Amino acid sequence: MPIASFAAMYGRVIGVTVLGVGGHAVTVEAHVGRGLPSLILTGLPGAAVQDARDRIRPAVEASGFEWPLRRVVVNLSPGTLRKEGPGLDLPVATVVLAATAQVPSKLLDRYVLAGELSLKGELISTPGILSVAIAAARGGMEGVIVPSANAAEASQIEGLRVVAAASLAEVAGFLRGTWEPPVVEAEDGPAEEGSAVDFSEIRGQAQARRALEVAAAGGHNVLMIGSPGAGKTMLARRLATILPPLSREEALEATQLHSVAGLLSGRGMLTSRPFRSPHHSLSVAGLLGGGSGFLRPGEVSLAHRGVLFLDELTEFRRDALEGLRQPLEDGRVVITRALGSIEFPSRFTLVAAANPCPCGFAGDSKRVCRCGDARREQYSGKMSGPLLDRVDIRLTIPRLTKHELLGEDPGESSASIRERVCAARERQRRRYEGIGVACNAHLPGPFARRITVMSSEAQSLLAQAVETFALTGRGFDRAIKVSQTIADLCGAQVVEAEYLAEALSYRGTAPQDEGLADAG
Amino acid sequence: MPAESDVPSGWPTGFSDGEENRQAVALLLGLAGLLPRKLHALAHDVGTAAGCVAAVRAGRAGSQADRRYAADTDAAAVLDATHAMGARLVACGEQEYPPDLEDLADPPVGLFVKGRPLWAITPRVAIVGARRCTALGKEVATELGRGSAGAGVAVVSGAAAGIDSASHRGALAGRGDTIAVLGCGLDVVYPPGNAELLAKMAEAGALVSEYPPGTRPMPFHFPARNRIVVALAEALVVVEGAERSGSLISVEHALDLGRSVFAVPGPVTSPLSAAPLRLIREGATMIRGSADLLEDLGYGRAYSVAPPPHGLDEAERVVFEVVDGSVLPETIAASTGLSVPEAVAVLIRLELAGLVRSVGGRFERRLAASPQALEATEA
Repeated sequence: MPIASFAAMYGRVIGVTVLGVGGHAVTVEAHVGRGLPSLILTGLPGAAVQDARDRIRPAVEASGFEWPLRRVVVNLSPGTLRKEGPGLDLPVATVVLAATAQVPSKLLDRYVLAGELSLKGELISTPGILSVAIAAARGGMEGVIVPSANAAEASQIEGLRVVAAASLAEVAGFLRGTWEPPVVEAEDGPAEEGSAVDFSEIRGQAQARRALEVAAAGGHNVLMIGSPGAGKTMLARRLATILPPLSREEALEATQLHSVAGLLSGRGMLTSRPFRSPHHSLSVAGLLGGGSGFLRPGEVSLAHRGVLFLDELTEFRRDALEGLRQPLEDGRVVITRALGSIEFPSRFTLVAAANPCPCGFAGDSKRVCRCGDARREQYSGKMSGPLLDRVDIRLTIPRLTKHELLGEDPGESSASIRERVCAARERQRRRYEGIGVACNAHLPGPFARRITVMSSEAQSLLAQAVETFALTGRGFDRAIKVSQTIADLCGAQVVEAEYLAEALSYRGTAPQDEGLADAG
Repeated sequence: MPAESDVPSGWPTGFSDGEENRQAVALLLGLAGLLPRKLHALAHDVGTAAGCVAAVRAGRAGSQADRRYAADTDAAAVLDATHAMGARLVACGEQEYPPDLEDLADPPVGLFVKGRPLWAITPRVAIVGARRCTALGKEVATELGRGSAGAGVAVVSGAAAGIDSASHRGALAGRGDTIAVLGCGLDVVYPPGNAELLAKMAEAGALVSEYPPGTRPMPFHFPARNRIVVALAEALVVVEGAERSGSLISVEHALDLGRSVFAVPGPVTSPLSAAPLRLIREGATMIRGSADLLEDLGYGRAYSVAPPPHGLDEAERVVFEVVDGSVLPETIAASTGLSVPEAVAVLIRLELAGLVRSVGGRFERRLAASPQALEATEA
């Protein structure tokens, strides 16, 4: 269809840019006027959007449309907002088609368009579509036009029509009314899918299994110290399977983060709690989020509502570990850039694992530690600090003998452990209703001391422990919180001495009474 | 110069007499290249300490570095530095110089000493073992130190980490005597964490070194230091040591010097039992604690078996009974019919009562609560 050659033509399309996890509506306008053939983007396009300039024309022409050989100005507003991500390819291409009357404009103020284009005009999988859909629903739009690869996530939002198109040509067909999009079935919420791992696979390590149950029940972070091969990774991986099932809101939050990071790969919704286990060579931006240009959520956010496992804790960069303090305390990461700051949620359970010393054999009954004092000193220095203050449960994982391994029955299944965990969480939810605390781990220390009801026997045991185990103030608070969780698991109103005694077994003893001493 | 084997023991009469010779001794102790054995032979050749220094200066003994050191060092300043930190030089031939050292083929020509006079700290027993020891080994060494020193037998050791420090600490806790032989100058704190222990020993016992003030610890100082530890004592006790442990070198010295050798056994599965178990097989006397040691040395007698712990409730008693070796909580749970959390709770109460300890995720009895624990009653 040849383009009419009268003076000026105008079009308007609505897109969404994703900053952090939030989608922000962007009005995309095009003006096609006199001048040398060119495409000019105005309105604070980020690097990825600027990039689109050279991609749009081939995509339009490959889809069988004509590119106007005139001066095309595309404006993105509001102009104060930096536009990031490749999702604006489709709106920019469509607005040019609309301005040149190659597609009708009548649906364009009711639908949000998003998606990245290939040079052949195909719509390819684009990160952040869930956030786009949420923004569209919030803006009262009728529907979204998105790549088919992302249809499943977009369909999670109720009352929003999802037009899943595979190419720019199909989008044009839909706008002209000549192509009917396939019906996208809204998936059910976070239907529980069978997890790949289960607690019943663990033989032995009864104390560690129990400790992880307590950790799950109270939302406590865990540190595991043990020789290489003792089973730390195996245990950590299974913690996610006994946490309470994801609620729909939690699943939506977590899915949104994974969508923004481009990790959804066609799935609609996360169905189980994420388990992230980044390698210790990870950069600070990789762990906490950030990067240049497009800000990507870090591992702490990808583990949102799930488990973040840091194996070989001492090998992580010091600044990365220091940076964990904010997500551990506030459940979010704030990244500040010249143009403002964005925020990623990051409420996760931390499981950290480390060898007892650089060689890994301190405290081992069968091997001799060969580390020098200076190295051990330096090593335990890395394990201290603000990070460990937030870890309530510290475990030593013993290396089992063959005899001990074979003698053990397979453990309980994740499902039956999870039932107890859920019951304990429910008790906490009722107790802390209205004070903004979800679980025992998040209780501020002084508050925990005040509201925890202890039997007199437990109180005298605690006094004795302060003396004998040289508990610090923080160690004291941790013991109280963990004993409260054990009481919740037992369905008890009062913390009995035996709950407290068990909690004290998670206080973390150093191999050979030295080195990794209580950091609090 | 006579062949080394022909060198008589002891030092020539008048070797360190007079201020000039005393200063010469202080200087000779700073020579890294002139080994004690060579110096001892030279002493018998030349007759006086000043003569030895002259030989070094003339290039007839020691290394080039020794020659430079002898030329550049002001011996009076070494003595001043020694006095400044409250220490003294004990030269061979002086009254405080321990005669036991003359049993060595390579006796030190003098010692820097801080603390009480050495002749007042007798009898003595040496307790040595692994630096990287187990919690049990540490406890055994502490008990040995406390029991021996409490019964009036001073503890000599090397102030290293692990067994050495534990035996010194035990001796101090038993309000007894202890001597630390250092592999560095008396003013150098090594290992770094031991400052407080060293200060206490300088007050209650004595610190000894053959190295002048300011000498940094060098790897070869420690084997040399060990010969003095052994020579000062009438018996040597090895607590824990791996295969090829440094303690075995101390045992060689003890055999050369005619000192008795004792060893405390440990589990055959523990790598740190290798040295003591080998020694016991080769004829060292097995001891279970200070009571055995004191009896064998003739400083103590009667035994009474430690009473079983009292004041335990039923659950604690049952659990305590099955803590046998180094056991997992689930093993205890299985043999008592308790759940794992219940067993852990009882174990923590026992730990608070000082009867068990947790090591590497397992529980074991503490020494005082072990069935082998014997209490020495003073002779």
